[in-house]
Parts: sequence; structure tokens; C-alpha cells
Amino acid sequence: MTTPLLTAEAVSKDFLFARTIAERFTGRPARTVHALNGVSLEVRRGETLGIVGESGCGKSTLARCLVRLHECDAGRVTFEGADIAMLSGADRRAFNRRVQMIFQDPYSSLNPRMTVRQILAEALSVHGMVPRDRVDDRIAELLTLVRLPQDAATKYPHEFSGGQRQRIGIARALSVEPEVLVADELVSALDVSVQAQVVNLLLELQERLELTLVFVAHDLRLVRHISHRVAVMYLGQVVEVAPTEELFERPRHPYTQALLKAAPSLDPSTRTRKVAAKGELPSPSNLPSGCLFHTRCPHVFDRCRSDAPGLTSRGPGHVAACHLANPGIEGPA
Amino acid sequence: MTDTARPETPVPSRGRAGLLSRLPRTFMFGVLILGTLVLIAIFPEFFAPYDPLAFDYSAVLQPPSAAHPFGTDNFGRDVLSRVIHASTINLQIAIFATITPFVFGTLLGAVVGYVGGIAETIFGRVVDAVITFPFLVLVIAIVSVLGPGLVNMYIAVGLVGWVFYARIIAAEVKVQKRLDYADAGRAMGYTHTRIVFRHLLPNSVTPAIVYWMTDMALAILLGSSLGYLGLGAQPPAAEWGVQIAEGKNFMATAWWISVFPGIAIVITGLGFSLLGDGLADLLRTRK
Repeated sequence: MTTPLLTAEAVSKDFLFARTIAERFTGRPARTVHALNGVSLEVRRGETLGIVGESGCGKSTLARCLVRLHECDAGRVTFEGADIAMLSGADRRAFNRRVQMIFQDPYSSLNPRMTVRQILAEALSVHGMVPRDRVDDRIAELLTLVRLPQDAATKYPHEFSGGQRQRIGIARALSVEPEVLVADELVSALDVSVQAQVVNLLLELQERLELTLVFVAHDLRLVRHISHRVAVMYLGQVVEVAPTEELFERPRHPYTQALLKAAPSLDPSTRTRKVAAKGELPSPSNLPSGCLFHTRCPHVFDRCRSDAPGLTSRGPGHVAACHLANPGIEGPA
Repeated sequence: MTDTARPETPVPSRGRAGLLSRLPRTFMFGVLILGTLVLIAIFPEFFAPYDPLAFDYSAVLQPPSAAHPFGTDNFGRDVLSRVIHASTINLQIAIFATITPFVFGTLLGAVVGYVGGIAETIFGRVVDAVITFPFLVLVIAIVSVLGPGLVNMYIAVGLVGWVFYARIIAAEVKVQKRLDYADAGRAMGYTHTRIVFRHLLPNSVTPAIVYWMTDMALAILLGSSLGYLGLGAQPPAAEWGVQIAEGKNFMATAWWISVFPGIAIVITGLGFSLLGDGLADLLRTRK
């Protein structure tokens, strides 16, 4: 097995609400949202790691921690073995260059007052990617790479469609020749027909440029299509990681099973009205005890309410965090 | 002295055929009015029929006529010539009294809005303290301490006026810094300075520019108020506020001494307001 390129080790991240007046007067502390609760994850060189989970499970927060847009409150993120929170100066710039992010919203992620040329030229010049007289050539190459016409360079972001804007975002990330791309809900804001274009472009570029890809999404079919491995998140924790087909064929965590069952199927004979997970997602500012999923789990038993299960092996490259070895089929592990 | 930045220069960078027809009509009217005014202010001798300071005791308090279209004042000075020459001083007031607050307030507001936290709290208290006092009272107080005159008026307005720009910009930068393009800059490893001044400020500055146009109109009114109170431009210099003050004793018998400079103030204010409205249309971010 290759050594991991980028890892998260027990990463936690809390967000504080601004204190209300009532809280100030009564001296109560501000409410906290526990966005990440000890996430551990490895990203291997050259792979595509899909991260899935429902809205509010901390996927985007994790993505932002991986590129150091957020600092972790506990735990650490390492890149090639070095804690990224310790990087400063030239090392930090080098990290920023080598690990790039592509954003969800194609409308707010580009500066509306800069032309595509200005956006790309800025990235190229700040990181000194090419000599000044080569900047225009490089911009032309980048536009070809993401299949935008050459006259796109002189236009402003508002002159493009959502899919084209995402490709500008990809071109900006690629301009600094990164090794890792973290794509946060890259296509969820796009029409389905455009989604395929953008995703296929990304996959093609990954192969050509030997990129490592962290693909955060809530669309299971999309993740299955593009990922080598998939990590499932629930309430700020990773509950299961496995190679893609293994995860989709033999999910070992009740939450993953619920998630897969909830995905609409194209085959009407497999339709079911049975609900795999009961109830609502608990509030991330008031977490359940023990296993975070016990409030909704169909297989819950006493131990789940007191002990939090760790990630344990379920086969080659397959880990899950559940007290049951094979929930839904066998007894306790 | 009057070769200062003309207000009508900001034109969108994309030069294309038919640009003129796409400009907002309010903007065109504003440019037309202020363009004419700037021309008059730069070459007053060319437009004024008489010396604005020359006494003529043979033609005192003459009503508007062919020889003196705006009449003459109590020293026989031609009111038209004085209104024309005053435009130089009044446009100077509009620009010099507002440019320092605009630049300083914008830069400070951008930094405060971006940094947030304790800087924002302190800034908020300072703003509260300044806007608690009525603007005019505060300016009059400062001018009385420093002594009357135009330069001291610029200083007084500068000491108070930056607050309004800083507040507008800080609020706007606070919104902009949460957008993904700011995060994209951080993920790229850009410096904070670059993110604030290259990315956030250009997207935040529009309301401040629009307010600046209104503020220039207000500065002319303020300059005129201070001139009227004897704290701004000093007689015998021609300045619209001073002229209105000079005519106040003759309102019943020689209304033209005060009314024509008053109309000049109104037209100038209108020009700035139209330009501000037009700029707001023109600089609005297209989505």
C-alpha cells in the first residue's frame, strides 16, 4: 500500500454562535456547533476519494480543513507527513499551490470584477509559475485544457453559464499545477446535463495530470461513478470507508445502508416504502451520547448508547464504525 | 489649481461601439452639467464679462439687464461674473473637502471590515461618538478652533467625514469576505493585502463612490453655509455662500444678488446627484 499523501487525524472543528443578549446576561456560554467530531481519513496519491453524507454532516467543513481554509480545533491534517497548521511562509505558499480547492457555487467563487485573463494571470504570477512573457501562452493552454474558447480570456464571469464558470474555476486551480484537488460539491449547482460534462472533464484531467482528487458530494450515483474509494460521513464523523464497489455492494454501517436504500432506484421492482433510518438528523450543537447514529439506527442496542464505536476493519481496505460486525445480518461483533 | 480629477472621467474599461447609447441617461445629464461647470471653473475669465472684484459705483444694485444679465450688487460688482468666478472655489471645495475622507475612510473601512473582531468593536465606538454630534455643529466647532478659511474647512470636514465612508465600506467588505471568491484567494495562498485591496475592495467600493458624489454636493452646501457664517471663504472672494450672505440685507430690494448664486448651488448639486445615480447604475455588479 502506498503511503497516504494527505491525512486527517482525529480532526475536530467547532463553530461558535454569536452569544445572544439573554446568554450574555445569564452568563451562559455561546452555543457551539460541532461540525467535525474526530474525523480520520487518508487520501492516497493518484486516487479519487469520494466523501458522501447528507446535508450538514460536515463534508464541506472537512474539505475546507483539508486546504486550511479552516484551522482544526483538535487533531491535525498532514500533507506528506507534515502538519499543515505548522506551515508558514514559503512552505505554506507551496502547500497552497500543491493542494487546490474548487468551490461549489459557480456564481460566487469568481471575482465578478476580474476578467478570466486577470484571474488566471494573478494565480500564475503570484506563484511564479511561468516567466512573464509566457503568461498569455499559458492562459491559452489552460483555456484549451478546460475546453473554453480562446476569446473567453477577455470576458467577465457574468458572461458565462454555470458549467463554464466551473470550468474557469478548474482552470484557476490547475494554473498552479497542483497535486491534490479538493472539489466541494463541484457540480451540485449545475443542471444534470452539464454535470456530466464537468465531471468527465475533471476525470480526464485527473488521468492526464496524475492528480489526486477529493470529491465531496451528496449524489451517490455520481460518487460511485468517479471514486476509487468512498468515505461516508455522519454528524461530523467518518463512519465507513471502503473501495467503491465494496461499499455499494456490502455496506457494513447501518447509516451507509440507510443512505443507499434512500437513494432512488431506477428499477421499480426494488421500490420500497420502508424507511431505513428513522427520525431526523440530531442537532450538531447537541450531540447524542455513545454512537452518534444510535438515535436513528434500526439495530440499536444498549451498548450503542454509552460506547462510541471506533473504525474497525471489515475486509481489505474496508473500515466501519459500528459495534455490529455485519448489522442487519449477524449479532454483536 | 483646477486641473484636478474631473468627475466625469470614470468610463467602463470595455470600449465598444454604441457605448454612448448604453450609458444611463442620468449619468449623461450629470456629466453634461458637471462638464460644463468644470469648463467654466477652469476658464472663468473666458466666460465672465467683468472683473468679479471691480467696484462700479455708477451701477450699484442694478436689476438684471442686457449689460448685467444677473444684475449688480451693492458695490456695483457684476453678479454673473462673481457667480462664474465662484464656481472655481466651489468645485475646489467639492473635491478637496471630500477626497481625503473618501480615500482614508475607504482604506480604513476595508481593513476594519476584513479584520473584524476587536478592530471592528473599537471602530464602531469611534463611529458612534462622531455621528452623535450633528455634522455641521462638529465642523463649525473645529473651524472655530482652527480659525476661518478654506484650508481649515477641508481639515474639519476631513476629520469628521471619513467616518461615513469607512462605515459603508466596512459593512460591504464584511459581506464580500464571506463569498467563495475570497476563500478561493486564501486557498490560492494570496496575501491578506492582496485579497482586501485587489479582490474585496473593487467589489465593495461602488456604494462609497455613489455616496461620494452626493457628498460633493453636500460639501458645496456646507462650504456655502460656512461662507454664509463667515467661517469659510473670506470676502471679497467670490463664493456662492458668501454671495448669498452678502445679499441677505437686500433681499427685498435686490433679490438677484442672492438668488443667482443659490440657483448655481442647486444646479451643481443636481449634477452631482445625477452623476451619482448614473454611476450606481453603471458600476452595479452584473450577475
